[in-house]
Amino acid sequence: MRTLMIKTHEAWLEMLMAGSMSRTENRQTLLDFSDILFRHFTWIEHEFICRNETYNYDRDAIPVKVTRLGDILKNITVRLNEIDLQLLSTEDKALTERISSDIRYMTGVLHHMKDETVTAFSMQRKFPDITLTQEATDALTLFLFEETYKEYELIMIYNYLKAHSEDAYLNRIFQILIDESFFHLKSFCDMSAKMGILAVPRVVMKELYQIEDVTQFLRDGIDEEFAAKEECRKLSEAVAKDSPELEKFFDFINNQENYHIALMEDALKHFLKKTNV
Amino acid sequence: MTMDAHLIEHMMNPKNYGTLAGSNTEGIGKNPENGEKVAVYLRVMEDEDQPYVGDIAFQAIGCTTTVVAGSMLTEEAKGLNLNGVYNLVDATLKLLEKLPPEDAACSEMVALAIKAAADTYVRRQDDPDYPAMTYQVENSCVEKEENQEKETTL
Repeated sequence: MRTLMIKTHEAWLEMLMAGSMSRTENRQTLLDFSDILFRHFTWIEHEFICRNETYNYDRDAIPVKVTRLGDILKNITVRLNEIDLQLLSTEDKALTERISSDIRYMTGVLHHMKDETVTAFSMQRKFPDITLTQEATDALTLFLFEETYKEYELIMIYNYLKAHSEDAYLNRIFQILIDESFFHLKSFCDMSAKMGILAVPRVVMKELYQIEDVTQFLRDGIDEEFAAKEECRKLSEAVAKDSPELEKFFDFINNQENYHIALMEDALKHFLKKTNV
Repeated sequence: MTMDAHLIEHMMNPKNYGTLAGSNTEGIGKNPENGEKVAVYLRVMEDEDQPYVGDIAFQAIGCTTTVVAGSMLTEEAKGLNLNGVYNLVDATLKLLEKLPPEDAACSEMVALAIKAAADTYVRRQDDPDYPAMTYQVENSCVEKEENQEKETTL
């Protein structure tokens, strides 16, 4: 089960990276497949919880640097076949059959996908049709590295909290925050790929998601959202002169953080009431 | 941070990131100001002359600068004997004295984590259960002006 969980986690991220590096109609299919693999990951996690077994989100580094999409699709297919083999050892036959059936379909589609050239690792740091100053380019580069990791970290944290909570009110909030972070993660990966600096987010340390003090986590999280708003505002200003399109995008992300803050405040209020603090 | 291809390569693919199977010593560098920390894991091997770093890994709760510093310094530390590790830490800390504190804090945290891991190894020669040591940074990650503002507000 442990190997199954790690390999599914790696396949989910590898598929997400493949979707981000594609510039054709393959893109949406690969991103949809990555969503499916994330759901597999959460179902396997649920199995661990049902069996009262400990687990974590550790995984290996995932090499994704390719020049042809076909190369990463081959690697993903190998990984999916490994997952399929691992399924033989699981007890929940309904789950096994579901994952196995999805894998059969996905590998079939990957096999027939049209190959394409990949420029997501060129390190050119130039947006197509947009010329940014060196200062704005550096600021955007740093922002993309910081925030790609941050969104992945948030997905893992909220997912862990949700997996261990039976509170429907809190879980609704956690699910919205997961969905929002997925949108941001995909947007930032897309931008990173266009800039030629696509990278797999690094592994999240256990103590970040195996939270002991939920109240403190939510309080810190609200502060971090305010800090993220400020980063978006600064970046929007930095790129405004050269790209109204990017300026609008970062203003849009900035404004989305307002709702995240409201949701987290709501979660904090609910949690404090529930725990009578 | 001034960016060149070498730096971006470390951002895209941090070297030695993660935990280390078979590590025999660990150390932590911490910034109490913001909760950021770096954990370094070493697999110290015994040589005829003296122990050396057979393998090294690190994990960080911190910013991209911390990850880049971790990637670079752990690459430097790989293969060094313990004296070499201490020299690397000293040289890094000396170099950081020339930087503004807010630029030095992240790299200092990595250097201290490496030192803590080496010191833990030395302690464990007498007491195999000795816990992983933790050192705290002296530099502040927050710019001076911001710091003064905070102090005034408090």
